Amino acid sequence: MRSNTYTLIFTSLITLILGFLLSFTYTQLKGMQQENLAVDIRKNILRALDIREQENEKWSNEKVQDLFNKYIKAEVISKNGLIVSDINIENINAEYDSTNFPIYYKLNDGQVDGYAIPVIGRGLWSTLYGYLALEPDASTVKGIQFYSHKETPGLGAEIEKDWFTNNFIGKKIVNSSGELVSIEVLKGKVDELSDEAYHQVDGISGATMTTKGVTQFLLEDLQKYEPFFKKIRNNVKELTWLY
Amino acid sequence: MAILNKKSRSALYDPLVKTNPISLSVLGICSALAVTIRVDQALIMTGAVIFVLSASNTIISVIRKYIPSRTRIIIQLAIIAGLVSLIDQVLMAYMYDMSKQLSVFVSLIVTNCIVMGRADAYAMQNPAGNSFLDGLGNGFGYGAILIAVAFFRELFGSGTIYGISMIPDFVYNLGYENLGLMVLSPGAFIVLGLIVWFQKEIWKEKVK
Repeated sequence: MRSNTYTLIFTSLITLILGFLLSFTYTQLKGMQQENLAVDIRKNILRALDIREQENEKWSNEKVQDLFNKYIKAEVISKNGLIVSDINIENINAEYDSTNFPIYYKLNDGQVDGYAIPVIGRGLWSTLYGYLALEPDASTVKGIQFYSHKETPGLGAEIEKDWFTNNFIGKKIVNSSGELVSIEVLKGKVDELSDEAYHQVDGISGATMTTKGVTQFLLEDLQKYEPFFKKIRNNVKELTWLY
Repeated sequence: MAILNKKSRSALYDPLVKTNPISLSVLGICSALAVTIRVDQALIMTGAVIFVLSASNTIISVIRKYIPSRTRIIIQLAIIAGLVSLIDQVLMAYMYDMSKQLSVFVSLIVTNCIVMGRADAYAMQNPAGNSFLDGLGNGFGYGAILIAVAFFRELFGSGTIYGISMIPDFVYNLGYENLGLMVLSPGAFIVLGLIVWFQKEIWKEKVK
């Protein structure tokens, strides 16, 4: 048995060494980690707007940045749906801000080719972060991506997989009379013959709580942007998908 | 392998089957349940555990004579947790995609009883070289069971192996359905239980 003093000194020494090692690594790598994080968010905005890597292609951080600068225009809108020009989008925390909301336009030769908005909310274990993209008609889903969450791998974590997100593409967020209905993630499969199928997507078995959360926060986040999208819908002369 | 003496050999090979950490000592069950839904996840977890296990075993073995016995568990845990956080940081900076895939698995390694079990039971008594081999052996033994469980769970639960569809469409047309139970935790218990039973009863008798 060793003396108390030895035990204390040895234990503190190990703690100190490990603590120093970890904080040193952290400060050294912090810059790269934050850059990776920022690039990953941009990549997800691009992917939601259907600009994505081909199979076996891997974009470098610079490539993502270039594409983002080329195609994406960011703006801030108020809760009344008006464009706010005096606030920098970098200063908005999309998770907590309830008066100003960021929005990303996809521009193709000066034409708007889609809108992406952040969607954030609780799943089962954690907060999910993602982007929902709409077509220029502001009623059809162009894509959805989740880039950060801590759901169970193989169950809730499937929300980030293509087989799940692809189900959203082409679904409508408004009903035939133009009211916002958002997207509903079902428990089980969508009955294609049902009248509601236009705004429903297949659920994930074993992840009912996660997908319930998704249904709820998609509605909440779309409501925030509704004044803005409503104006766009009124300007689009013909809703091509009407029954 | 002539370079390894008998003790080193048993350190490396025994944990593969004879003293397998999962099926004989029933350690590391928590992660064996969580990450065996699909084979690709089990593979990633296996790689990470092999690395942490052999590294922590080596480090602890090197300083084993100086570790005070009363706080040895705390020190072992600190070293393991430090090592895991270190890997996490490095992955986040240099291999961001990989770190995203590993996400929760990394923190699961700290709570993996095999890592601490081997540190306390083996690395504290044996020299660094053998401890390293013991870490490798246990890592592979753990991985073998993990992948076996994942194989059955993915095959019967999702009808795929490594994400590739294994069950032809006409079988589904005949009325076959994927077993939802296999995707959930009880499925892992059942498969794991069968493997343990197979090894303890049937296979052992054959070996005798």
